[in-house]
Amino acid sequence: MPGLRNFAREKSGRSALRMLVGGLVVAAFAAMAPAQAQEKQVLVLGVDISDARNFDPARMADYSSPITNGAVYDSLVTQKPGEYETVVPSLATAWERLDDGKRLRFTLRDDVMFWDGSPLTAEDVKFSLDRLLNVKDQPAVYASNLEKTEVVDAHTVDLYIKNPSEPIMINLAAPAFAIYSKAMTEAQGGVSTPGAEQEDSATQWLNQNSAGTGPYHMVQWERNAQIMLQKNPNYWGGEVPFERVVIRHIGDSAAQLLALENGDIDAAFNLTTEQLATLEDSADIDIARGLSLDYVYMTLTSGAELNEALAKTENRLAVAHAIDYDGIIEHLMGGNAVRPVNFLPIGVGGSTEELLEQIGYKEDLDKARELLAQAGNPDGFTFQLSYANAAIVGTSYQLLAQKIQSDLARVGITAELNPMDQVQLRTQYTGGETQSVITFWNPPSPEPQLWASASIERVAKRVRWDVPQEVRDVVAAAGAEQDPAKRIELYTEYTQMLQDQGNYILLFQPIYRIATSQAIEDFDLTAAGWQVQMGDIKPAQ
Amino acid sequence: MIRYLITRLASMVVMIVLATLVVFLISHLVPADPILAQLGDMQAANPAMVAAYRARWGLDLPIWQQYFIFLEGLVQGNFGISISTQRPVLDDILQYAPATIELSTIAFLLSVIVGVPLGVIAAVKRDSWIDHLARLLSLVGVSAPTFWLAFVVLALFYGGLQIAPGPGRLDVIYLPPPFVTGLYLVDSALAGQWDVFRNAAAHLVLPSTVLAATTLGLITRTTRAAMLEALGQDYVRVGRAKGLKERTIIVRHALPNALIPVVTLGGLAYAVLLSGTVLTETIFSWPGLGRYTFRSAVSLDFPAIMGITFLVAVVYLVINLIVDLSYALLDPRVVRQ
Amino acid sequence: MSALAGTQDQARGVGETPPVDRQRRLRRQLRRYWLAVLGAALVLAWIVIAILAPHIAPYPYEQIDLTQRLLPPSAEHWLGTDMLGRDVFSRLLVGSRISLLAGFSVVLIGAVAGTLIGGIAAYAGGRVEELMMRLTDLVLCFPPIILAMAIAAALGIGATNTVIAMLVVWWPKFARLARSLVIVQRNQEYVEAAVTIGYGPGRILLRHIMPNSMGPMVVLVTLDVGQAILTFSGLSFLGLGVIPPVPEWGAMVAEGRELIQQWWVAAFPGFAILTVVMGFNFLGDGVRDWLDPRSRTR
Repeated sequence: MPGLRNFAREKSGRSALRMLVGGLVVAAFAAMAPAQAQEKQVLVLGVDISDARNFDPARMADYSSPITNGAVYDSLVTQKPGEYETVVPSLATAWERLDDGKRLRFTLRDDVMFWDGSPLTAEDVKFSLDRLLNVKDQPAVYASNLEKTEVVDAHTVDLYIKNPSEPIMINLAAPAFAIYSKAMTEAQGGVSTPGAEQEDSATQWLNQNSAGTGPYHMVQWERNAQIMLQKNPNYWGGEVPFERVVIRHIGDSAAQLLALENGDIDAAFNLTTEQLATLEDSADIDIARGLSLDYVYMTLTSGAELNEALAKTENRLAVAHAIDYDGIIEHLMGGNAVRPVNFLPIGVGGSTEELLEQIGYKEDLDKARELLAQAGNPDGFTFQLSYANAAIVGTSYQLLAQKIQSDLARVGITAELNPMDQVQLRTQYTGGETQSVITFWNPPSPEPQLWASASIERVAKRVRWDVPQEVRDVVAAAGAEQDPAKRIELYTEYTQMLQDQGNYILLFQPIYRIATSQAIEDFDLTAAGWQVQMGDIKPAQ
Repeated sequence: MIRYLITRLASMVVMIVLATLVVFLISHLVPADPILAQLGDMQAANPAMVAAYRARWGLDLPIWQQYFIFLEGLVQGNFGISISTQRPVLDDILQYAPATIELSTIAFLLSVIVGVPLGVIAAVKRDSWIDHLARLLSLVGVSAPTFWLAFVVLALFYGGLQIAPGPGRLDVIYLPPPFVTGLYLVDSALAGQWDVFRNAAAHLVLPSTVLAATTLGLITRTTRAAMLEALGQDYVRVGRAKGLKERTIIVRHALPNALIPVVTLGGLAYAVLLSGTVLTETIFSWPGLGRYTFRSAVSLDFPAIMGITFLVAVVYLVINLIVDLSYALLDPRVVRQ
Repeated sequence: MSALAGTQDQARGVGETPPVDRQRRLRRQLRRYWLAVLGAALVLAWIVIAILAPHIAPYPYEQIDLTQRLLPPSAEHWLGTDMLGRDVFSRLLVGSRISLLAGFSVVLIGAVAGTLIGGIAAYAGGRVEELMMRLTDLVLCFPPIILAMAIAAALGIGATNTVIAMLVVWWPKFARLARSLVIVQRNQEYVEAAVTIGYGPGRILLRHIMPNSMGPMVVLVTLDVGQAILTFSGLSFLGLGVIPPVPEWGAMVAEGRELIQQWWVAAFPGFAILTVVMGFNFLGDGVRDWLDPRSRTR
């Protein structure tokens, strides 16, 4: 074993040299190469980026791309890891509600420069947000409550809001609301006026470069190979720790693990539960943890025309009480997950583990049998459980579905498994044709209204739940409420209503784990879309 | 000969149109909408967004019109834009195909280099231990599930003994050589990057051996059978009677005749390798056409599915044609028939 | 088949002292056909296992126990446990049923359909024959994965649908063989005689030509079961095969494919596929050898 480790070290030493020779490093740096005590200049991340299609903030709709965009762009406001109820200043230092919230006035920092050295002004903010609206690609949906943007002066900008009772501040921190340089983008064919849908041609350039104010700027994207970021010499947040960041595409988790152990990469993003378990005791590798806001949930339909038994509330609640939630989290997730009560994940809208203790579903087979008897199905019933043939956060839907099937069998409920391709599942689920699905929720931003309104609007349609006005009123009131304590009260009331209804069963909310080498520190995960606080990562002291 | 060629080419065109039409119809019959899987949850519930995306891929048009648009594009060498990667299908294919071509060519060469001599020896030394061994090897080779064999060699040589590189085409520390052909061995040699060349070659060892296992069996068996046939012919007896050396008889007389069926089968085996490496590619995380095909089929990426169908049909038909032509060259009687 | 072989051997044995000769011949036969014997034994063993599986499996195949997950092979779990703590050995035994069933149904249905189509084509000749042969060409030039996936997607995942998808690509080779066999028979005297008597073409094809062409067909069928099992497990590996929790070998390998440390999850089911396919291939190889007069005389 020691021989092997030496070999690994020697190999990584050679690899650093090879990178120099490969022309990855500026010539001046290459000249200093022999220096042994050289501080680490390049941060290398191993990530599966095969899903990346777009890095243009106005078009981006992928899962891995925000890792890059979070490092190259800033928004008006941002969020700190773990504090998803509030926003903190970023490009804007202050903001105020005018006209009863119909207008939001932002005061910009006056010391921000884009990476090319040009100063940030209100014009750039207007350009970015206008372009978002007018390119009309996927991110525009998140800005549907934004009417228009007006420049007040060079460092003041007004955002006009269509419906002030719908909260918007947290959304503004999302990667879709990135602010970029009007001059740089227009030079590449960027258009922000109506008609941009057809006329804008900056995407191609924005997929290879960036035009933002973040700690790094993008210099290359090679599909399914790597993304290269360069230090922003004009960063407003102070000295940037690395010269370069290389995001290497490594689709295979075993290869990520090996590369990390060899010192070829500094962080491995996509390791499996089993692989991480082997690293727990490693002295050379740290594991960064971060509670996500994603979750895996199960739906049960209310539509009697799809399944008569499931249409009865007692039967749905019987299912909810027959699942071994702890077993799933403890064993399938290796303990690296929590469970929210209902549609709001832990960390937003007053959803906590204490609340789960109070009003969450608990495994209780006697109660489940009792509920079945109340529903008039004492011997249980049969329903179809659909899921995609895919892996999910270190496990797979297939394993989950089999576990749930065997759990439900204990009280006589038969879940007939119905695996299908992702596309078919999406089609049937969004069309409201499924009796029950297990699927994944990944929020565009940590605004509780996004979950709450989804659960009573589009997702409610999918499970054929005819939402009572009473529930709608509570959700609307929570969205409009400015007082945090009262807001949490309202959201708790709403959560209790979902619990009584029994259409949604939350299975788990994963704690994401990224294995990192000891060459770096301050590797902080966030549940916001960009996943990692890239600008904070430093070489180990 | 020229008339024969023209007829063959004409029937090829008809076959390609039919093949693409059938796949087009089947894939459009699937009760699923590929657009929905490309949109976020919120976007998929937004009718305007869904309509805009459907229009972008012409999915709002009548189905027959969509097929004609595909044919029209095909004539202009345009396969359309992939729904899931949002870039030209041709670019995707050009990116993934070299990985598969490199792997299957190496595997094919491997099985020919080992299989043909093994088959010849097995035939010449009939019923000897080497004949039995060859038979056993080839039977086991065609019986082993490639996905399992791939797993076993990977677990053994990479996971256990740690003497082979892991999945993928290159170690993580190496960058792909400058693109010329997309074949890493060729490109790295052209660029003079010998360390990349060595690494790419090392990464090819396990997957190509696994792939070769099946074809090796086929080629050995065919060579052996054809050699036995050839060795029983009159000219071999005449040669023996004339006192020619056994080696001369085998190499100069019997072998060339025995090669005809080997060429046929080898050509087909190569075609199968080119289109059918998805299992091996999956285990070895090989960024090739097999996996692209699989992903496209799973995500119902119509333009990609059609592009690949066209390509596979062309490769299959062209290799068939080449096989038949070389047959004709090796044995003029074929054309006359 | 065996009668044919017997006569030939007797013919060769003329003039030698019978008892000694029989022993030596037996030994020679065994040496030549030991692989076939081994193959037959393997196939037989798997068929017996498939029949008895539910009775001899030490645990119920669907019994999940998350506290027992990924245990290495031991006295309690001979082949270890999988990601849900199920007994790999029990699942492997029960998995033989679906593989054998799928293999046999694809080949049998494919053979019957292919033979009918090929037979009709050859007997009818002309346009019909041309059309049908082009159809087989057409099927062969599809990317098999796309075709199988598209069909499975259209029909839904499941063993029956996967068998149907396989049949679509499976029948042409039988059709081609049937055609060539019927063409040989078509010109035989007994067919001409039947025509003269005034039998209809359907009766001649089904009652006279087909039975006489069956021999080679049977060989192809045995040879092909192994291939069918292999293909089925491949599709199953890709996620098309069976609906869980029914165990299937290809799906079991897929489940364990990332578990290089816990190799037993994927290694044993794959080995099961290897042995059963090997059984059919050894057997088929021996049968072919036996039937092929040229390889026997030399």
